[in-house]
Amino acid sequence: MITAVRMNQVWTIARLQLTRVFFSKRSFWVYLLALFPSVIFFGHGLEIKIRRDRWASRATPAAVLEAIRIGDSEQEVLRGAGMPINDSQEVGRRRRGRNRSNEEREPDRRYMMYFDGQNRWHLRFEEGILQSKMHRPLNDFEEDRSVFAGVFQYFYLRLAIFFGCLGIFMNLFRGEMLDKTLHFWFLVPARREVLLAGKYLAGLIASTLIFGVGAALCFGIMLWPQDPVQSAAFWQTQGASHAFWYAAAAAMACVGYGSVFLAAGLLLRNPIIPAVAILFWESINGVLPAALQKLSVLYYVQSLCPVPAPMDSNAPLLIKLLASPAEPPSPALAVLGLVGVTVLVLWAAARAVRSLEINYGID
Amino acid sequence: MSAPEVVFDDVSKFYGEVLGVNRVALRIPAGITSLVGPNGSGKTTLMNLMAGLIHPDRGSIDMRGLSPRDPENLMRILGYATQYDAAPRGVTGFDFVSTGLLLAGFSRLESERRAALALERVRMSEAGPRKVASYSKGMRQRIRLAQAIAHDPEVLVLDEPLNGLDPLVRAETIALFREFAALGRHVILSSHVLQEVDIISDQVILIANGMIIAEGEIRSVREEIHEHPSQFLIRCRDASRIASLLFEQDHITQIQIQDDRLGLLVMTRSRREFSRALTRISLAGHTVESVSAADENMGALYEYLIGGDR
Repeated sequence: MITAVRMNQVWTIARLQLTRVFFSKRSFWVYLLALFPSVIFFGHGLEIKIRRDRWASRATPAAVLEAIRIGDSEQEVLRGAGMPINDSQEVGRRRRGRNRSNEEREPDRRYMMYFDGQNRWHLRFEEGILQSKMHRPLNDFEEDRSVFAGVFQYFYLRLAIFFGCLGIFMNLFRGEMLDKTLHFWFLVPARREVLLAGKYLAGLIASTLIFGVGAALCFGIMLWPQDPVQSAAFWQTQGASHAFWYAAAAAMACVGYGSVFLAAGLLLRNPIIPAVAILFWESINGVLPAALQKLSVLYYVQSLCPVPAPMDSNAPLLIKLLASPAEPPSPALAVLGLVGVTVLVLWAAARAVRSLEINYGID
Repeated sequence: MSAPEVVFDDVSKFYGEVLGVNRVALRIPAGITSLVGPNGSGKTTLMNLMAGLIHPDRGSIDMRGLSPRDPENLMRILGYATQYDAAPRGVTGFDFVSTGLLLAGFSRLESERRAALALERVRMSEAGPRKVASYSKGMRQRIRLAQAIAHDPEVLVLDEPLNGLDPLVRAETIALFREFAALGRHVILSSHVLQEVDIISDQVILIANGMIIAEGEIRSVREEIHEHPSQFLIRCRDASRIASLLFEQDHITQIQIQDDRLGLLVMTRSRREFSRALTRISLAGHTVESVSAADENMGALYEYLIGGDR
């Protein structure tokens, strides 16, 4: 009976708080953070769509382009394939030879680009003779998915959700303290832990919706310019699973960071201190001993991502270490571990909120 | 079973190194109790301690059998109109009141009914749908009062509740306090308007520098003050004669004959001796129409115990 009443109070508090979280002026930049990658991917998709539409009327059949051989002259290529969609020339420069008395001249170069409806063909001529021919798809699905994985892990998890949760969850108590309205909540017949749970639930619903929708939107926009056949095949195989795990990773990041920043908002006045400290802790997670790695949110949520984040093979070892967990747990273990860390942090927050006092004068 | 009380047992509260209240021991019976003291004396600290908004560093508080550390139960019997002027952003007066009721576990329908009733009692029904942010100071005062009384609490704690109210609403509000007190409930308020404290209080608590200076009914507090002679106003036909008879008494320190020569202001070091002397004078055939205490009021108590700084 008492539990039902308390659950009802948690939901009532969360409901009342939700409006403020969603429509607060302080939340505005959280939306920007959540939507920023979507804007980037939308720009990329739009560029591909526009190029494809513009080049489609001047497309050359792939078979014709396949038939072009190294050593063909410019005229032969133009005769066979027609006018390219892009054509640029470099007149060879003169430069001094090694014995200074001779002058050497660089060859005249010409670059042509053709489009076969799917791929861009790059032809390089020197002195009118084809030297190299290569083609790459206008849009590389695998590459886009890899870029998405990078954006999701390096920007979305480490920065957008991190700072978004900082803004949302730290304000749940500190914001009310600054507005001098926290006493309103302390004067209702509810346990402080119930108030904490209600506010946490509100923050969690808001952040999960904002960042979950942000991630899903970005994922959708990433797929938007892809070849419909490829997209359909992807959805039939891994698509739904990938979308689910990205959303799950975003939600679990909100669960973890939310609890950490809620507790930080109760224990500390200045949000910059916990932000810097936690960001540092999360950043060095990859080089920490295995036991300490488990006390990090990133350690768990990275493991939920379906595609590993791309890493340049030439990147310094330290960067490689910082960017990837040394021993990623299984998804089930990651969820359990994160829930464990969250419960621990919320328990500490509950202790803090029990002894929290209204003292607006010193804030 | 003893009557429910609000009890402070050796309570101290410090804000860092700044004293809030020090070693407060109080037993507040039901009725209207006024906390009186200069700014910064610790009145709001005492009220915040009662509501559990702050916690004592030492000692314990009992609110009619409940601890301020148990808001789940305490807030069902306590309504607190704080001095804090802010309300959650964008909230209307009606929502401000009904939200608290919803959280108290009332159904939406019952919350709305009680909120409407509370608004009506503080004459705020018309302003209810407007946002609190647009309210005047007096309206904010009333909406806080409405929120405090909406769940029909047993203990009403009110920080300067009459501030900013116009005379009519002020009178109605005082009547409301009396109504609550008449039901055996606690109404604990702070005020700096001493005339009002005189009118409405069953008992007073004088506080200065975080310490309780005096507590109890105004009259009994006055009787405890021996450093200042008691003042009585006597209305009589033969003021000069009665003055000369009284002056024969050792305990009389000063007598002023009023301009109309039908009244005397008498100062005595012994209320009992003064009473006896006056009886003797009456029995001797001198007509005494009335006798009233001239300094059994908050103004005088404040002056004697705390000084002029209000």
